[in-house]
Formats: sequence, C-alpha cells, structure tokens
Amino acid sequence: MKRLITAKSWWPLLAAALLLLAGVAAVAAHASTAHQGATTSVTVDTSSPPNSLDPQSGYTVSAGEADWLAYTPLLTYAHKSGVAGTQVIPGIAMALPTITDGGKTYTLTLRAGLKYSDGTPVVAGDVKFAIQRALKLNWGASSFLMPIVGAQAFLDGKSTSITGITTNDAKRTVTFKLTSPVGDFSNVLAFPATSPVSQKTPLTVQTTTMPPGVGPYMLENVVPNSSYELVKNPLFASFHIPGIPLGHIDEIKFQIVSNNLTEAEDVLDNRVDAFDVGDAVPATLLQQIQKQASDRFAKETVASTSYFFLNQRIPPFNNVLAREAAAYSIDRSDLARLAGGFVSPSCYFIPVGIVGHPTVPCAYPSPNIAKARALLKQAHLMGAPVSVYAEAKSPGQEEGQYYASALKQAGFDPTVKLVDPAIYWTTIGNVKTKAQTGMGGQFLDFPAPDDFLLLIDARNIHPTHSNNFGNVDDKWIQSQLVKLEAVPSSKLSTIAKQWAAVDEYQAKKAYTIVWGSAELVKFFSDRIDFSSAVFQPLFFNDYSTWQLKS
Amino acid sequence: MSFTDISTTELLAPVPQPGEELPVQLGISPYRLAFRRLRRKPLALVAGAFFVAIVVCCLCAPLYARYVAHTGPDENHISETVVVDGHRHDVVSLIGIPIGPTWHSRFLLGADFNGRDVAVRLLYGGRNSLEIGFCAMAITMVVAILVALFAGYYRGWVDSVLVRLLDVIWAYPAILLGVAIGTSLTLGGISLGPVKLSSGSLFIPALIIGFVNIPYVAKPIRGQVIALREKEFVDAARTLDAGGLRIMFTEILPNLSSTIVVFVPLMIANSILLEAGLSYLGAGVQPPNPSWGTMISDGVTLITSSPHLVLAPGLMLVLTVLSINIFGEGIRDALDPRATTRIKRK
Repeated sequence: MKRLITAKSWWPLLAAALLLLAGVAAVAAHASTAHQGATTSVTVDTSSPPNSLDPQSGYTVSAGEADWLAYTPLLTYAHKSGVAGTQVIPGIAMALPTITDGGKTYTLTLRAGLKYSDGTPVVAGDVKFAIQRALKLNWGASSFLMPIVGAQAFLDGKSTSITGITTNDAKRTVTFKLTSPVGDFSNVLAFPATSPVSQKTPLTVQTTTMPPGVGPYMLENVVPNSSYELVKNPLFASFHIPGIPLGHIDEIKFQIVSNNLTEAEDVLDNRVDAFDVGDAVPATLLQQIQKQASDRFAKETVASTSYFFLNQRIPPFNNVLAREAAAYSIDRSDLARLAGGFVSPSCYFIPVGIVGHPTVPCAYPSPNIAKARALLKQAHLMGAPVSVYAEAKSPGQEEGQYYASALKQAGFDPTVKLVDPAIYWTTIGNVKTKAQTGMGGQFLDFPAPDDFLLLIDARNIHPTHSNNFGNVDDKWIQSQLVKLEAVPSSKLSTIAKQWAAVDEYQAKKAYTIVWGSAELVKFFSDRIDFSSAVFQPLFFNDYSTWQLKS
Repeated sequence: MSFTDISTTELLAPVPQPGEELPVQLGISPYRLAFRRLRRKPLALVAGAFFVAIVVCCLCAPLYARYVAHTGPDENHISETVVVDGHRHDVVSLIGIPIGPTWHSRFLLGADFNGRDVAVRLLYGGRNSLEIGFCAMAITMVVAILVALFAGYYRGWVDSVLVRLLDVIWAYPAILLGVAIGTSLTLGGISLGPVKLSSGSLFIPALIIGFVNIPYVAKPIRGQVIALREKEFVDAARTLDAGGLRIMFTEILPNLSSTIVVFVPLMIANSILLEAGLSYLGAGVQPPNPSWGTMISDGVTLITSSPHLVLAPGLMLVLTVLSINIFGEGIRDALDPRATTRIKRK
C-alpha cells in the first residue's frame, strides 16, 4: 500500500502545525494580557504586618492605612497632604455632627442608600453595633469611647448595649450622649473602628474574612502574617460621597516580608511598587536609594512619639529612682543616629506641631551614667534584672539593644526580648506578659494632645490589648485629662499650657522615657506617579490617590 | 597489640633458657599509644593548638577590653569619633553606618550599629559560644552515657522506654526543636522549684543544645553497651555477685572511654554550631549578650555596607569548628585500633 504521506512531506506538515499552535498560543496570551490590562494592580511590601485588619481591632499604622479605605466611618478626613489632611469631613454621615447640650450630645444622619460591599443595606443601628464591638474586642484606643454614656457599664457587662447611643434606622439618625463634653469627639467618630459593620458580624476578631464595609476598597484574600489585598468596591461609586476618591488602581496587594532590607531592595529594583511607610529604610541602602531613586523617594515629617515604657506595677520600675536611672542612661542623639537620621531627638510625649508641646528643657538631660548608677545604688537595685521588649526587626532590635546596653551601663542586668512585629503590640499590651520596659511608639490619630497622652491614660489599662504599656495610673494626670478633654478642639490653643504641664509632669516623674519623633518615607517604584500620590498626615499612604504612570 | 606491632628485632630475640629470669616487658597503655599516633598527625596537632589559642584569647577578653580596646562589650559609642591615620571618623555615621576595621587598638575590627567594638564583642562572644559549647557537650555526654548504660545493660522495658524517648527527640530536626524550646524558655526563663534561671542565662541555650544532642551520642554508645554486656569479663563480674550498677560503672564504662573521648570534640563543635544557629534565630543567647550567632544576626541588615559585622564572627565560627573537627578526627584515628598508623616500638 502506498503511503499517503512520505517521510519528506511529513516535516513541513509538522512545522506548519507547530506554527499554528504557536499562533494560537500567541493570540491566547495576547487576550490574557489584554484582559489583565483592564485590571491595574500594584504590590506593596511590608515588614510591619497589621495587628489586625478587623476594623474594630486594627490600630497599627498598616492596619489604619487599609481599614481607612475599606471602612468609612460617620466622619472622616480629607484625602489631602499636609495640614489640610487633618480636616474632618463627613464620611457616611450627611454632614458634620450637630452638637447640642453643651457639647454632650452629637447627632448625625447617615447618607441614603448606603450599602456594604456585599450589597447589604447599612442601617443606623450598625454604627452602635460597631462601637459596642470595638469595646468588646478591646480596640487599642477604646478609652476614647468611654465618655459615651453607658459605655463603661456595657464594658463591665452590666448592660447589654450602650445606652448613650440611640439610633433610628428609619430616619438614619445616630445620637451620642456623653457623660461630659469631649472636645475632639468628632475625631473619635472618624476612627475606622467606629465605621458600621453588619450586626451579624461575630463578636470575635476576624482574621481571614473581613466584615464587608462601606469604602472605595474592600479587604480580600487576607492570609494572616502573609498577605492581604485591597480591591476596588464596585458599589462605592454610586454613593457619591464628596471628598472620598473612588481610587484609580483596581488591586493593591500587600505582601509581608521578613525584613526591610529585602523590602527596600525590591522597591529600588522595581520588583515591588511601594515600601511600607511604617518601615524604616535600612541604613545600608539609604545612600543608594537617595542616589538612584531620588525622584521616587521622599522623607515625610509626621507627628509621632518614640519612647520607652516603664512598667510601674512591677519591680524595678515601680521605684521612681530606678525610672530616673533609666532616664539618665540614654542618649537621645545616639538613638537618632541609630535611626539613620529618621528621628529627631525629643523628650516629651506631645510632639512638635501639636498644641501643648512643652518648650522647657528635658527633665533628664541625658546621658549621665554616673548619676544613673548613684540613683540605682540609692534604690538598692544594682544588678536588678530587666527585660527589654523590642520588635524583632530593624530598627526596633537595634534600638532595643542600644537601650539594653545603656541600662547595663547604669547598673541594671538587662535582657532583650525580641518579639515578632506581628504580635509585638499585643504581647506588651497583655498584662500577663509583665513587660518591665520596652519600645513604644505613637503616630498621630488626630491632631490633639490627648491622642498622645492616651498612652499614659489609666483608662487605657486593660488585661489584654492595653495601650498604656507602663500601667501609668496617676490621679493628677487622670483629673487633668478629664478636665482638658472637655474643651472643644476649636479652643485647644487656649489650654496649650495645661496640656504641656501634664506632659512635663509625666516626664519629671519618669513615667516614660520619650526619646524622639520619627520621620517616615514615601518610596515607590517607577510605575507609580509619585507626585499625585497623597501622603495623608494621619493615615499616611493614601492608596485611593495612587495612579500608574501613563 | 596486633601482630604487626611486633618488630623484627623482637621476633629474632633469643629464647630464654629454663631457669633464666624473663626480662621485664614494660607494657604500653592504649592512651599512650594513641598519643604517639596523634603525634604523627601534625595537622591535627596544629588544629588542636589553634583551638587552644582561640580558647585562651577568648578567656583573655576582659584583659583585651580593659587594656587594649578600653571599652566593654556592651558600651555604646554611637556619637563618638575615632582618629585613624590622623583623620577623625564617626564611629557610626549620621545615616547609621558603623566604621569598618581600623587595624588599631580601638575598633580593631570596626564597630557595630551601636558603636560597640566588634573585636571586644568577638572575644566575649567567643567566650559565651565556647562556654555554651562545653556546657552543652557535658550535659549531652553525661545524660547520653547514663541513658545508653541503662538501656543497653538492662535491655527489656527499660531499653524500650529509653530508646522510644530518644526516638521522639530524634524525630524532630535539632534546629527546629531547639528554636521551639529556646523561644519559650528564653521568653519566660526556667523556674522549677528552687531552680530558677533568668531568661538571659547562658545555661538555657546550653541546656537546650545539650538536650537535643542526646540521641546522637546515646544511640551509638547504647549499641556498644549491648555488645559489651555479653563479654566474658562482664560474665565474670556477674559470677562474683557484682550488681548491675557496679558492672555498668566499673566494667562497661571504662571500656567505652575511647568512644566517649572521640565524641567530646565532635559534640563541642556541634554545640557551638547549633548555638550559633539558635542565636541567629533569636532562640539562643539573648542580646545584648554577644555570641557569634547573635553577632552574625545583628550584622545581616548592614551586610552590604558593613560586611565586617558578619565576616568577623562568621570566620571565627568556621575556624573554631574546623579546628575542633580536625583535632577530633585526629583523636578518632589515634584511638581507633584498626588505624593504619603503626607505632614502631623501641
């Protein structure tokens, strides 16, 4: 039988078939690219994972950045850089609150037609539920919610709901009654923790599936300590909320990396699109970054406080002499240099630029090792063992080691306990940890002094998720806080001296050792339009303003 | 003594006549024989001497710190300056980069991010690493020998239980087990009745390393014990009504000595390496205490701009472990009766 295809004629056919296959593959690949082209996506590296992405639990920088865009509260902040970004604007409320009863009643009305990202309608009662949930979950700044009538009783389990919050679903109104006037309560209503969530949301911290919220983005694909994504919320555009951008980029992917050296290298080499604002640029790469990427790197000054907490409840820092010795042991200029020039030395809680920042010289001009040793000897605490808690990442671990070395020179017997950044704040905020001393830090939540002094507010001492890591409980401070908080934020400048006095008092008592105010960085890849990206003073990287270069 | 150990001169020696007093033949102890064999291994001897030199240098750390470097291992000098070849340099630059080796008495091998003298910390760190290495080796050897003796001699359920326990420890990779135990113990310390160890105690990593290494020594020694318990001299001891403990410690244990001696340097080297690994991962020596592992870990973030922070402790670690291993190899060869090296008797 004659072969239909000879060996010679077989090869051209095979070649043609392969060409055809290659063509089909190319078309398919093009189609795929075209499809991907419709979806814009950027990746952000972070070595500071959020403490939680659950809106009623998240409180760290990276948590705030994401939650701010996924959970719009009744009020929010302008999406602008600089001082303009501290202006409170209506969020899901139609307007700023109506304040009556001498500053003790706040009434707001929700916008009509609001829906969560899953399509469920938002009702006024959800706001009350969210605030109750934040209290139940020991949200980091829950002391700001305590002035609401009935909040303490609810927290203590004496009532099933907060009586001071009344809602009307039909009229979409929410009314807050306060025990006493609180000057910056509008700022409290702008925390993402107060944004509504469905009343079906469990009263436990959500770790993988975040409750649907109202915001330009929604949180998806959350893998704790690994990655999470902000994906555009298709429903948000229909709400037409003025002042809140809809966002340009469809997906913002966050990947948690083990160290900031990798993170900086990834951004420098354009493998990743942005360096997390809460991370420190490694000193080893700083010069290279400034040289190679000067058009996509900038230092941003923010109001912040870096400090060492000293646990007042347990030895040795329940002794004022030991606290003073610790305060005399450190050199703030050393710590500033250690931070690679990203920290300005400071010794007061209220940072420069915030009303109430003290201008008097430091209570403990440092360093004075001889005096520190003398104080410790006087207290009979030479060789007292001290555990120094620090984050197990740069620059926290270097700062922790510096502090431990300084304490050793003063006569303590320190050991550094480096804790994973993902659990650092919950570890030191847990009373059972009995952390004697360690690193603390606070970035501006809203431009008022009490946002910083909350860290020495006794109302912030909780068995878990405490923010007052040193368990500072001073009657005079408490009385002053209650008195000063009542003054409306518009009159803040009239009581600047009183706020400064509180800060000077705590510094003199060596309740904490404040050592600096940090600067942050805005560092992107070549893909992102650097100039149009807003660096918001309270939430930092405003992803809703990011755009890819055309 | 094997047949080949007898020289031709001895074979050709005149046979004593009846009634003639035999000449006294002085025996040579196995350890002397081993020492003679070891002397013929110059590399092992050099390695041993090098290791001893490292130990001596590390023990002299306080002297170096006080009289040469004029600074302690934990003293920060971040904002200070140092004069090198007539030029003044920041110990740590304004952007946080520490000075490299000056090759002078101060900051001989440079400074770390806290402005601490790397050479001083290297010596103190070596002291800690060696201390942990020796301590861990001692713990491993004592426990492993006891476990091996009891399991191998008594056999039966004692053997089953002990061997299963060793299997459980062996089932976990040493470094993972070390990290798991180390992390929990270094955070909280140890408090067992009157025994209290603070979280910064060097004994904690020594204890952990000593513990995870037990099966690696206990299992081979147990095998030897099983073989030895069947020997005639053990039977002889039994017929003389010797108890189990007496037989184990006076009959079997001395026969294990050469194996034990071989294990000692190996275990020191292993322990030093594991300590470095655990400290690197934060589960060993706790800062600000230096150890070679913690120094490497601290230097990683500055590796591109200040490689001396990683190279100095890394090199010391390599040289120390290498010297112990070569010396240990020499000892093993010297104690091995099947060694090819032959001693020529006078």
